[in-house]
Amino acid sequence: MILKKRKIISSIALFICFLTALWGIFWLSFIIIDVLRHGITAINPSLFLKDPAPPGEEGGGLRNAFVGHIMITFFATLIGVPVGVLGGTFLAEYGRKYNISKVISTLADIMVSVPAIIVGAFIYAVVVKPLGHFSGWAGALALGIIMIPTVLRTTENMLSLIPWTLREAAFALGAPYYKVIIQVVYRGAATGILTGVVLAIARVTGEAAPLLFTAFNNNYFSLDMSQPIASLTVTIFQYAMGPYEEWHAQAWGASFMITLFILFATIAGRLLIKRRYKD
Amino acid sequence: MTPEIEVKNLNFYYSGGLLVLKNINMTVYKNQVTALIGPSGCGKTTLLRCFNRMHDLYAGNRYEGEIIFQGENILSKETDLIDLRSKIGMVFQKPTPFPMSIFENIAYGLKLRGIKNRSELKSRVEKALKDAALWDEVKDKLYTNAFGLSGGQQQRLCIARALAVEPEIILFDEPTSALDPISTGKIEELIISLKGKVTIIIVTHNMQQAARISDWTGFMMLGELIEYDRTEKIFTVPSNKLTEDYITGRFG
Repeated sequence: MILKKRKIISSIALFICFLTALWGIFWLSFIIIDVLRHGITAINPSLFLKDPAPPGEEGGGLRNAFVGHIMITFFATLIGVPVGVLGGTFLAEYGRKYNISKVISTLADIMVSVPAIIVGAFIYAVVVKPLGHFSGWAGALALGIIMIPTVLRTTENMLSLIPWTLREAAFALGAPYYKVIIQVVYRGAATGILTGVVLAIARVTGEAAPLLFTAFNNNYFSLDMSQPIASLTVTIFQYAMGPYEEWHAQAWGASFMITLFILFATIAGRLLIKRRYKD
Repeated sequence: MTPEIEVKNLNFYYSGGLLVLKNINMTVYKNQVTALIGPSGCGKTTLLRCFNRMHDLYAGNRYEGEIIFQGENILSKETDLIDLRSKIGMVFQKPTPFPMSIFENIAYGLKLRGIKNRSELKSRVEKALKDAALWDEVKDKLYTNAFGLSGGQQQRLCIARALAVEPEIILFDEPTSALDPISTGKIEELIISLKGKVTIIIVTHNMQQAARISDWTGFMMLGELIEYDRTEKIFTVPSNKLTEDYITGRFG
């Protein structure tokens, strides 16, 4: 009797779990399919090869925004990933014995959930305002700062998962601590750390708010990081609010490309790890 | 018989001041197998980890007394731990393969010694795997991940890794406690085959194992070395009542 009751409760729980999973997946696929459906029709060579046409005119593309976005993300990664990985390494390895490490971990956890726009406003106050103008560097710095806590915490967690006996085994062979970390611990944690890095890049790739305050936008093609520079997300924001059909289509196209990029970044990360193990 | 290690009046404190080794005195002989037995918490693993200064990894641990190895007190502050650990290898309770290929696992210690020549690496890896009786099982998959091996194979891989750098001494910390009887048998055979080539100190919970493989046995209890003598003497005519009670299974 009691067993039957448990079985019924178990199947109800299972059913609810299944429903909620389905509910989540439904919205996810709805958003993705919508982006794909609208976006794919907007994809054409001129989207990548031409700069924006003056408002109201036919044609034009988003070459400036694509290039700007790649540059900002690239430099943000260059700023955020080393600091995050090395900081996480400190917390998990050298800093274990200090109380300050726990404080930093907690602060990083808070930072992960701080709205990105606050980081944008912060950079606006300390970089953009004193310099007197928006710039690509300010944008990269803002995105880099957003990446740090995610990368730092994942690195710390992944390193903590590596059993101490593995480190002891490397020490027992006469390895100095830095070699233990680089050659043994990092290798064991590579999958996790790389996942953290990819997730952090994916997160900042989709950020618009912090760039509005920092890199701003630029309707012209520019490679100069010390000047305002266009980005896909800010362009999407601007174009989606704009009055022209053409703009809307291009915003969908840009959304489509960002989604695609995040997809490929994730897959590439995973493939990279697989290959590494075969060597 | 030449002495390899002389332990003199060794006391050891864990951080917080807890005294876990009390006035240990013993001589470990070269190219012999020395077993440390005793009930859980008696300090045998703690003693083993003094020989390669593993306790230094954790803050607050303190040694008193001397451990003389190659004419020098390895407990002194001037001891180069990297050099010491390259002469005194260690195999742990659970297999600890590194997250890399079988070949790289063995080559790791060699590379730390600065050996870069590909053909020398290859021949030394092969020799170590043969010495650890693992070569025939892995020669076709040297470049696959070491985690693909069974537990017993992983443990022999760790022994091969320790052997590859040609240490004077290998410390075994209950190397078979996580293995099945067949793998245990293979490891024991391996340890016996290493007699005469390398000095072995082994901590074991298994008294029969100590009797089977060791030449010398130390019985420890509550941080003291109660009796230390030839294995056949310890297991046939122990001079201490406590030792006799322990090996006859009256406690422990």
